[in-house]
Amino acid sequence: MTAAQRGFFSRIIDNPIIRKELKGRMRGRQGFIAIAAYLGLMSFFISVFYLLLAADNGLSGDPGFLQTVGKAIFSAVVLLELLALAFIGPALTSGAISSERERKTFDLLRASLLSARSIVFGKLGSAAAFLLLLIFTALPIQSLAFFLGGVGAAEIVISTLMLVVTALFFCALGLFFSSLSQRTLVSTVLSYAFILVSFVFFFFFLFFLNILGVIGSSAYKPLEELMNAAAWLLLSINPFFAAVVSEIILIEEQNLFLTAGGYLGSTSFPLPSPWIVYIVFHIALTALLLSLSVYFVARPDQ
Amino acid sequence: MSAIIEFKDISKRFGRRIAVNSLNFNIENGEIFGLVGPNGAGKTTTMRMLVTLLKPDHGEIYVGGYSALKFPNEARRQIGFMPDTFGVYGDMTVQEYLDFFGACYKIQPRQRANLINDLLDLVDLGHRRHDMVDTLSMGLKQRLSLARVLIHDPSILVLDEPASGLDPRARVEIRELLLEVARLGKTILFSSHILADVGELCSRVGILEDGKLAALGTLEQLSAHVMPHRRIQIGLLNRREEAQAALQFMEGVSEVRAVENGRAALEVDFSGGDEDLHQLLAKLLAQGFPVVHFSEETQNLEEVFMRATKGIVS
Repeated sequence: MTAAQRGFFSRIIDNPIIRKELKGRMRGRQGFIAIAAYLGLMSFFISVFYLLLAADNGLSGDPGFLQTVGKAIFSAVVLLELLALAFIGPALTSGAISSERERKTFDLLRASLLSARSIVFGKLGSAAAFLLLLIFTALPIQSLAFFLGGVGAAEIVISTLMLVVTALFFCALGLFFSSLSQRTLVSTVLSYAFILVSFVFFFFFLFFLNILGVIGSSAYKPLEELMNAAAWLLLSINPFFAAVVSEIILIEEQNLFLTAGGYLGSTSFPLPSPWIVYIVFHIALTALLLSLSVYFVARPDQ
Repeated sequence: MSAIIEFKDISKRFGRRIAVNSLNFNIENGEIFGLVGPNGAGKTTTMRMLVTLLKPDHGEIYVGGYSALKFPNEARRQIGFMPDTFGVYGDMTVQEYLDFFGACYKIQPRQRANLINDLLDLVDLGHRRHDMVDTLSMGLKQRLSLARVLIHDPSILVLDEPASGLDPRARVEIRELLLEVARLGKTILFSSHILADVGELCSRVGILEDGKLAALGTLEQLSAHVMPHRRIQIGLLNRREEAQAALQFMEGVSEVRAVENGRAALEVDFSGGDEDLHQLLAKLLAQGFPVVHFSEETQNLEEVFMRATKGIVS
């Protein structure tokens, strides 16, 4: 390990906020109960999904069919995890700063030598560590798909990357609203409202694109292609679209990174696979939300 | 002595309300300075600006020679701040609470362990070190808060209402602790509504009203400022009216009032030194007045406060 890496890890370990939060979260039974409940629900849904597939098709020894079942189970686990992260991420962080304000401990932290960045990254680190624990404890359930086959290393890497970025994003989202709000209730409502609005916007956009597809194409080809590319990029920032469509592209086009067809039809230039757009966009948005959170925490009262 | 805290023309406005208005004063190294004033006078705002939690609209604050606005970390390093509310992490033990704040002030873990032991001994909480913070009484929480304030060995303690909400015993204990801390050479700035505590603890007092400094100085200076006369209580067995008439013509006496505080007595406004006061008593006795009680009213911060302030709340 290089000195820089050692410095990075010791900074994380030395951050008193991370240590305090992790200790608090894992103290007593509640942390273990949360993990057990998460894994129990995940196992239950996958079992139901598996039994439905088996009941519909009967599990013969056909390797092709078993591989399809393997892929389906793997995808189902990833989608369930994405959904779980959207719920759990903001729940872990939407009270991170506002609860300090409510407990009257925020001033004690701000009057100390702890920088606003340490406070924000400490809160993010502890929440993300818990979410990563959830993601990694679900790996054995994901690996059930390996018994059936059909899941490649690339899919595992991409899905894990997407899950990690999603976890960080939802934590950053909760943290941002928490740094803005005086009350945890307000920041929690704002976090979930943002998620709800973004999903509603996604479905409206999808609906609008379908109408556009029915109306027909523009006479001006470059404009149509540009609109197609823009629509593709916008759709790709939805986690479920990005996960499902990336998998479809991988199966149908055998390409991990690029696709020839957008949502409204093929383009003359290749478009990035949705998972790439998703990851780049969410890393940028996460960085922006964290910077704003640091700003709001550092800002002296007016 | 040199100034360790300097407020230079500090002003702060919240909307249309002026919370602090052109505040100018210094606090000397090692002194216990009391900030008193009615609710809304600007005490907490002044303290929050000092500890860098609030930005003044105008002026400059220096802490140990450093501008608190330009070098907030230097100010934070030198100041231990106790707000008027106790910040609780209910899911922590007493020891973890101090360890956490020690880490917030970047004190090395090995050094922290020794410091925590010493501080718990100082505030007499060693036997509760493994108890959850939530289980402590208000008085013990305040003692823990004082230990937290001292964790990074600051030279200045800023304490906003440290005795508020405490029972009389806890109040006395906190007062004793503050005196002990002051003996360690710390400068203490504290605000309180309990004027008896301020009068007993502080070497100097600042009276704030409507965001302005209404009075500043030692208790003696303030008394002399708002009450230019010494006030003498004279108890008599009888012949009060005659004594009142005689006193009015004696040297140094400006006013004589008849008062009833359990027995017939006179209250005399007197200007002069102790020798003159002795002469006054001697003259009374020489004229055969049956004096049974002769005492000077001690300087009372409450009275000074009432005279210095007008009851204005911004």
